[in-house]
Amino acid sequence: MKIIVAIKQVPERDAPIRIAASGKWIEEADLQFAMNEPDAYALEEALQLKEKHGGEVVVVSAGPERVATTIREALAKGADRALHVVCDNLADRDALGVANLLAAAIRPESPDLVLTGLQSEDVGLGQTGVILAELLGLPHSTLILQVEKTDGGIKVKRELEAGWFQTIEMPTPAVLTIQSGGNKLRYATLMGIKKARSKELRALNAADLAASGMPVVTLEQISLPKKQKSTQILPGTGKEAAAALVEKLKFEVRVL
Amino acid sequence: MRLLLRGETYFAPILYLWGAMMSQPWTLAEPSHFSSAEQILFAVLAILSLVLFWRRFSPILRRILASKKDVDFHLAPVGKRIYDFVWEVALQGKVIRQRPLPGLAHAFVFWAFCAFAVVTLNHCAALYGAGFLDPHSPVGMAYFYFAAIFALACAAGILGLFIRRFVIRPKWLEPFSPESGVIAGLIFLLMVTYLAAFFVQPDGVAGRALWWVHALTLLAFLPIIPHTKHLHLVLSPFTVFLSRGGFSKIPPLQGDEDFGLVAGKDLTQLASLQAYSCVECGRCTEHCPANNTGKLLNPKQVILGVRAYLNEYGPQSEEALLGKHNSQKAIFECTTCGACEFQCPVGIEHLPIVIGMRRGAVNTGEWEDEHGAKLFLALERGSNALGISAIERDKFIEKNALPFYDGTQEYLLWLGCMGAYDPKGREIVLSLVRVLRYLNVTFGVLRKEKCTGDPVRRLGNDLVFQQLAEANLDALQAAHTKKIVSICPHCVRTIQEDWKEFGTPPPVEHHSEFLARHASQLPSVPSQEKIVYHDPCYLGRYRDVYDEPRTVVAHAGQLVEAERHRERSFCCGAGGGLVFLGEETGERVSHARARELTATGADVVGAACPFCNTMFQDALAAQGPDAPKLLDIAQLAARGLPETEAGPVK
Amino acid sequence: MSILVVMEERDGRIGRVSWEAFTAAQFLGTQLNQPVAVVVMGAQTEPLAAEFAGKHTGRVIRLEHALLAPYTPDGYCLALEQLIQSEKPSHLVFPHTYQVRDFVPALAARMGEVLIGDVVAISDGPVFTRQLMQGKLSGAYKHSGDGPCFVSVQAGAFRAEPVAAPSAGATATIETFSPQIDAGRIRTKPGEPFRGEAQTVDLSSAQFIVSVGRGIREADNLPMVQELATALGAELAASRPICDNGWLPMERQVGSSGQSVAPRLYLAVGISGAIQHLVGMKASQCIVAINKDPDAPIFEVADYGIVGDLFEVVPALTEAVKAAKQ
Repeated sequence: MKIIVAIKQVPERDAPIRIAASGKWIEEADLQFAMNEPDAYALEEALQLKEKHGGEVVVVSAGPERVATTIREALAKGADRALHVVCDNLADRDALGVANLLAAAIRPESPDLVLTGLQSEDVGLGQTGVILAELLGLPHSTLILQVEKTDGGIKVKRELEAGWFQTIEMPTPAVLTIQSGGNKLRYATLMGIKKARSKELRALNAADLAASGMPVVTLEQISLPKKQKSTQILPGTGKEAAAALVEKLKFEVRVL
Repeated sequence: MRLLLRGETYFAPILYLWGAMMSQPWTLAEPSHFSSAEQILFAVLAILSLVLFWRRFSPILRRILASKKDVDFHLAPVGKRIYDFVWEVALQGKVIRQRPLPGLAHAFVFWAFCAFAVVTLNHCAALYGAGFLDPHSPVGMAYFYFAAIFALACAAGILGLFIRRFVIRPKWLEPFSPESGVIAGLIFLLMVTYLAAFFVQPDGVAGRALWWVHALTLLAFLPIIPHTKHLHLVLSPFTVFLSRGGFSKIPPLQGDEDFGLVAGKDLTQLASLQAYSCVECGRCTEHCPANNTGKLLNPKQVILGVRAYLNEYGPQSEEALLGKHNSQKAIFECTTCGACEFQCPVGIEHLPIVIGMRRGAVNTGEWEDEHGAKLFLALERGSNALGISAIERDKFIEKNALPFYDGTQEYLLWLGCMGAYDPKGREIVLSLVRVLRYLNVTFGVLRKEKCTGDPVRRLGNDLVFQQLAEANLDALQAAHTKKIVSICPHCVRTIQEDWKEFGTPPPVEHHSEFLARHASQLPSVPSQEKIVYHDPCYLGRYRDVYDEPRTVVAHAGQLVEAERHRERSFCCGAGGGLVFLGEETGERVSHARARELTATGADVVGAACPFCNTMFQDALAAQGPDAPKLLDIAQLAARGLPETEAGPVK
Repeated sequence: MSILVVMEERDGRIGRVSWEAFTAAQFLGTQLNQPVAVVVMGAQTEPLAAEFAGKHTGRVIRLEHALLAPYTPDGYCLALEQLIQSEKPSHLVFPHTYQVRDFVPALAARMGEVLIGDVVAISDGPVFTRQLMQGKLSGAYKHSGDGPCFVSVQAGAFRAEPVAAPSAGATATIETFSPQIDAGRIRTKPGEPFRGEAQTVDLSSAQFIVSVGRGIREADNLPMVQELATALGAELAASRPICDNGWLPMERQVGSSGQSVAPRLYLAVGISGAIQHLVGMKASQCIVAINKDPDAPIFEVADYGIVGDLFEVVPALTEAVKAAKQ
């Protein structure tokens, strides 16, 4: 099975976020970056499939030079080789523009399976996988927890809302977006990092792959949300406080 | 009547000896002439004994020498080595100090052996008429009497040890080896035959018989040594002298193919030498917190497991170490408290071996553990072992108006994961901050601080450890750090010792050292509270700091001691990364220790490590409503301070 | 030009989030001065159309085809694509559900468009606000493409106001649109939905958790907390000391040595908040703490706190929750 995993490099979760002067994106200067965690689950699923059925795991990632460190990490965890779509203005493209780049890089590889994380931790659109399927002309499914190989295709377990699941069968090649938490992630090892040094990492120029057409959706401005999290102490007697809490749960948290 | 007759029959030889002894001047009987048949017989037997010894010993020596070189080994400082050698080997200081009675018994056996070196040489030389000590000369007589005193003490000692091993049978001496009994018998025989020779005629049958029994015992003893624990007679002086030069000293990895102790080929000469030096006394196991609370880990079996591996697969083997005489489960139960390494009388360094095998399992990805992987992933991506957003640390700093370190202040206050994120750890930090402010000592915190890497270091994840150490070293250097103070002994140890592999860390001290220096300047609250101080492993055994925290405790109340304290303190169960792993099997180490601390009847447990503190929170609560309160020494030190204008800092 | 809002069925009725999407669409309609048409999709859309018509006036389109049940992304894309070509709407509004996330991005891409998903607010322009960086930032998006603008709205972001029944005589107009769907173009074969295995306690996927700590004092007091959990439809969990005492099984332990959880609501009852516990539940979306000690560390991480006697608060809360759910 030849599996392509599309991964994204995102700012570290802890990173202090500052808005860039343009007001349209964050200041990237002294940010630290890491692999998008949902993509790490996609990579894990791919590695487990390879361990079970053999084949090859190829990682593809789009972004500037710094993305190479995240690609190395994926190679260290067990991917066989990697494609780096070098693109310095990823944030200027909309989801379709990014997916176009990835699709152009993936197409010549003719994989059996394309996996990616459910969504990214930075912009969180959760669309790249689905758009990729459309662009590649492949069937797809999202929020996948398990992948099983069948004759001529795959059988997947998809998460539905409210604790329900569903099994879906489809032919390969196909595109899946992987739900986080379906597998246990593996940690990076020294041995993996050393082995990764000798693995192939091919750089592809974004301009050669797909023209950066005008985006159809633009991010005009970013801003800090109004209020930060702080503890609201609900005063009063037990009864009063309980009643106040139920109000909050109903109208602010909206869980009742 | 018949009984009496039989009794007489048995006692007859003793009565005879007694009569002979009383009638003779007490001079060592040494046959003055040996026949050439005797000379040839002894020569043949002696050669046979030596050959047998060599045939058994040389493969062991070859295995040790064929092991991987210890590239990081340096003989310097020699002075320290000589000191340790004199104290631990010649004076038997460690053996006696840790188990006074059996230790003394052993010391007498050892000293007797030393004294007997000359006696034995003379014994054999006499056979060929080359004896150099005349039993009748004043010098000879003096020496033989001198040796006799040791022989008496040795005989008594070995008898005591025999009774202990085969009658009292302490658990840590398991499994029971019949060979030990044989050896004890031989040693006893050596001593008795020597002593008896003072009471017989030199050229009588008895004198000659004693000479031969003594000589044959000696020749029989020699070939038994290499394949029993008595190999320590030969090896342990070298083991002690050739230590790695530091407590729990973890060797740096060498080259691209070194991932720790993966297979036999990774065992170094020192590791192999140590494995063959084990005397199976079980001190390590006796003090092991894991073994004492019903876990699989047995440090003695770890070392014997390495020895068994070497015997079976050899030092250059590619066969995995774990799974062959050593189990992965046991290796990952170690809290790295270091009690084993600290206690070992023959110089075995358990921690580099235990951590080495963990490195092998983690650096190659062999170790699969849900909690462990979570910890590693948290530190691959984030800044702290708790997996909490670093923003929480920023908020804590802001809320309490802690200044940032800019190179001008006296101390860089290292918060650590616990100090920055754990509510209890924060209270400790804030108490220390109150003291610093009261003393007008300037300090600042680092803007961005990552975990020191202690838990990943002890769990054997070299990749993450290196990343963390390098990032922190860079940040400290960029801040022009002069001196660090920290509330966490794990941080202190890791910064001071383990980071050396990747740079030059600034000097660092634990807050107990700082507080002890300034204790006299702090207002004390007259308190009759009994405070039991718990020695954290990483402050005591790892850093040799025992008195400073006690000074702080004594300033705040009545210091009392738990049954196990100072060098023999019992772990809280958190170390070695275990606080981040899943549930323990067997009893919790923290509960065993909390019980012991509660039993002192103290009102307060004085802790000096945020990890001990967090372990004891639940464990003390489980001791019932009368359990002592739990306070860090910083909190004790701050008790007498005037409240600040803004009210007491929590 | 019009605005289409695509409603989704939940348990045979129009789901709550779909009503919220309808609210958003109406807001957009007022702003752009365009009519809003409601689309109900499936193999049997009559009941949904009737449900809507019972509450609102306006236009309802039944997008119906036998191959639209069960849901498949291919079927839904094909059907809606044809409806869009026929209706040429300016905007399409969806509830941001798992199903919408599964097919709308592909449908939009097919038309050279991009879905603006998970929208929490709509302002003049129209400008669509959605969260970025895991909620740490808000982003303002604009549509600049030539085709229709696809929008999905976050659950709870637009309150679906209960409306009065339509005045007599005014009814919705219901029409049916039958798309052409070739069975061969549906490439995925979905199976029947099933529940996760119920026999094992899986706190990690629980939506609601009521967790109890040492403040409960005795095992005999547990039923009181269990009752609150039942009222909330929550799993019962505990901090380590409770499981240590054997009052609850170990698999219900939350914390560093137990399970890590991330429910929508985590209600901590009598838990002081030792770090081992906090690391296991800090990812919860909303944390409520009930504790008698105002200095308890759990309040540091809580969104809402009640400082008081849990033996008083918990029964009162149980009653209040039951009343609210009726």
